[in-house]
Amino acid sequence: MAMNTGAELPGTGTGPGGTDGTADDERLACGRLLSKVWESRDDGSDDPHLRSCPHCAAAVRQLDLLGAAVREASRGEREPDRDAGALTARVMDVVRLELRPGRPLPLGEREEDLWVREAMAAKALRAAAETVPGVRTGSCRIRPGESGGVPTRGPVQVRLEVVVPLVPGLRELAEEIRRRVRGAADEALGLPVEYVDVHVTDVADTAGADETYPVEEAEAHETYALEEGEGRS
Amino acid sequence: MPGDDELLAVRAAEGDEDAFEALVRRHAPGLLRLAGRMLGSQSEAEDAVQDAFVSAWRRLPEFSGRSAFTTWMHRIVVNRCLNMLRSRRPVTDLDSVPEPVAPDHVASPARAAESHAAAAELGRALSALSPEQRVCWVLRELEGLSYETIAETVGISSEAARGRVFRARRCLTEAMTAWR
Repeated sequence: MAMNTGAELPGTGTGPGGTDGTADDERLACGRLLSKVWESRDDGSDDPHLRSCPHCAAAVRQLDLLGAAVREASRGEREPDRDAGALTARVMDVVRLELRPGRPLPLGEREEDLWVREAMAAKALRAAAETVPGVRTGSCRIRPGESGGVPTRGPVQVRLEVVVPLVPGLRELAEEIRRRVRGAADEALGLPVEYVDVHVTDVADTAGADETYPVEEAEAHETYALEEGEGRS
Repeated sequence: MPGDDELLAVRAAEGDEDAFEALVRRHAPGLLRLAGRMLGSQSEAEDAVQDAFVSAWRRLPEFSGRSAFTTWMHRIVVNRCLNMLRSRRPVTDLDSVPEPVAPDHVASPARAAESHAAAAELGRALSALSPEQRVCWVLRELEGLSYETIAETVGISSEAARGRVFRARRCLTEAMTAWR
């Protein structure tokens, strides 16, 4: 676009809704590019020229004027928190109608014909693991047993990822998680378990806990060398 | 707690609706505000964010967790808003742009008239921007994102993001100067 000869800023430009394709920068009468002047303003750079040049000062004033309008407008912004609850309810109405197919898992004895959806069973097993203070769970995959590469009815294999609190005795903690997961599978679901693989994906400092996941006070502050995958029970 | 997001996203991807609900509850306010700023309409913002969450639920099994859940959600909402803005086009004549939706609350009654007028004028000027300029400008000036993050969110180069923000500023400063 043409050079702007006066201190009047900005020029008529390409107008609102101008295309994005070409650079339509403007060189001020002092020789500076408008885009660079505004960038310096953003970065808070301490360029002596900017302080003394009337052309640059005029350009910066334009930007400040816009900033003031933005601040005024944002004072009137609606607080979104009060709409978020209703929105969450509407989203979940749709989500709960859309059942993910998921893997069906055999329940009960070999001769029975009872099945449970993997997501349902996983939810129960995660909840059981999280009864161990400070433990939070992520992925929980449950696979039917196999015989010669073919899924069979019978005990399932569980692979559970956990974030554990920074406490001594990690092996005991993993064992406790395993015990509770097995218990829930057996008692609550009637799902026989072949083994529970517990993978520690992270160790959380208690300082990072919030009210959703109450964590007991950690006693030790040493860092543990963790093997991923605590092996099979 | 950001680490929580990733745990919840993994669980939601495996079909845990409660985990997903926790994510929606946590991120809805910020995303509603973002969409409201991009679209200039609260009801359209609610539609955009609702659609974005439902689409996120369907796509969660593909969510690799390479980016943070919040970045991923931002991207989905921004794309939804871009499409909604594009379907509104063409609106090029400033005077033909309808009066933007007035904000519902103004903090100080003494400033009400001035504030309302400035907000209305800014809203009008914003609707005259191209959708791409508007989105980049909102992410930069109102959400305070870096050009790199804007580039990643919108799926363009950071130079392009810089260029769009600059052009948006030019259009807006012109409009606001003319109004004053």
